[in-house]
Amino acid sequence: MTTIADLEAQEDDSAWGRLLADAVGKFGSPNIRTVATIGGNVCAASSSEDLIPVFLVLDAKVKLIRRTEAREIPLQEFLVAKRKTALHADEILAEVSFSEPSARTACSFQKLGMRNTLIIALVSVAVFLETDDARSTILQARIALNRLKGKIPQRAERVEMELIGRRFDEGTIKSAVDRLGDELALTSYFRVSAEYSEEAVKVLLRRALSDCRQRILGK
Amino acid sequence: MNGKDQALIVDSTERLLDVLRDRLNLKGVKEGCGTGDCGACTVIMDGRLVSSCLVLAVQARDKRITTIEGVGTRENLHPVQKALMKYNAAQCGFCTPAMILAGKNLLDHNPTPSKEQIKEAISGILCRCTGYYKIVDAIHDAAKEISEARC
Repeated sequence: MTTIADLEAQEDDSAWGRLLADAVGKFGSPNIRTVATIGGNVCAASSSEDLIPVFLVLDAKVKLIRRTEAREIPLQEFLVAKRKTALHADEILAEVSFSEPSARTACSFQKLGMRNTLIIALVSVAVFLETDDARSTILQARIALNRLKGKIPQRAERVEMELIGRRFDEGTIKSAVDRLGDELALTSYFRVSAEYSEEAVKVLLRRALSDCRQRILGK
Repeated sequence: MNGKDQALIVDSTERLLDVLRDRLNLKGVKEGCGTGDCGACTVIMDGRLVSSCLVLAVQARDKRITTIEGVGTRENLHPVQKALMKYNAAQCGFCTPAMILAGKNLLDHNPTPSKEQIKEAISGILCRCTGYYKIVDAIHDAAKEISEARC
């Protein structure tokens, strides 16, 4: 079983390696990372699990096994509702897999909580962006939020459409953030109000997009 | 277990914390919350910090564990212990064993940490008394002492 600390120990300079590094860096605390596992995080299936938005933007599949058979389904399908997954009683989650992104890809994960560390995500955003060789036009965009319209992480598909085919510049980033504002349907709960979340998640999306732009240009 | 092999028969529901405190009488490991939030029960397990309230005793099988009792001696304190005293970085002392273990584990892996890295290393341990700064400064100082001793 791969722990978060095991993930942290693997340093990978690829787009997905840096995305995972972003997430594990803000995951709980060193103590928690030693025992927490990838599988445990994915199966907990709520807005608090940092790896879920990350795997959603990587278009990940999960492999579920029982004694004599295995099946593979997309992660979004695996997440049925808050704290409810598609696991049958006699199945376990064995693997999370995704395709290697192209070289012109950059990702970013942003998380906001009550402190700098040892925090539960109030809002979190994962972004995956692929550009053309000139690094100016966005070919592929995937955005996942820990909460968008309900209580579990989801892709913000309409915001993704806003980005695809456009030049990767400040104007585009701004349109995407504005579009997100239209897509959000958050409710308040004991940790955080809807108003705060809706403001904060737009800031995080802007930061994630800018971060991706830096990473793509920096390559 | 602090350098010595131990063989125990444990119940499957016993936590590592329980075995350390109650079976092995290592009272330096503190139960602050029992829910993995405070880090007072921190021990070093195979070179990584872990909250012993989150580890079942059976999960610790064949692992190398260090508690505060395994760090320094009265005559020969670990540099982190000496530094915490020098900086007056303990008040009630409840988080102190955990903080020392975090400092020692960091310096074992990274002898010249930045203050950011020190803050990261202790980030899983809550302190209600000191405000953390003196603990960070003390560990930073201990790192200098260790590297100077090496020269």
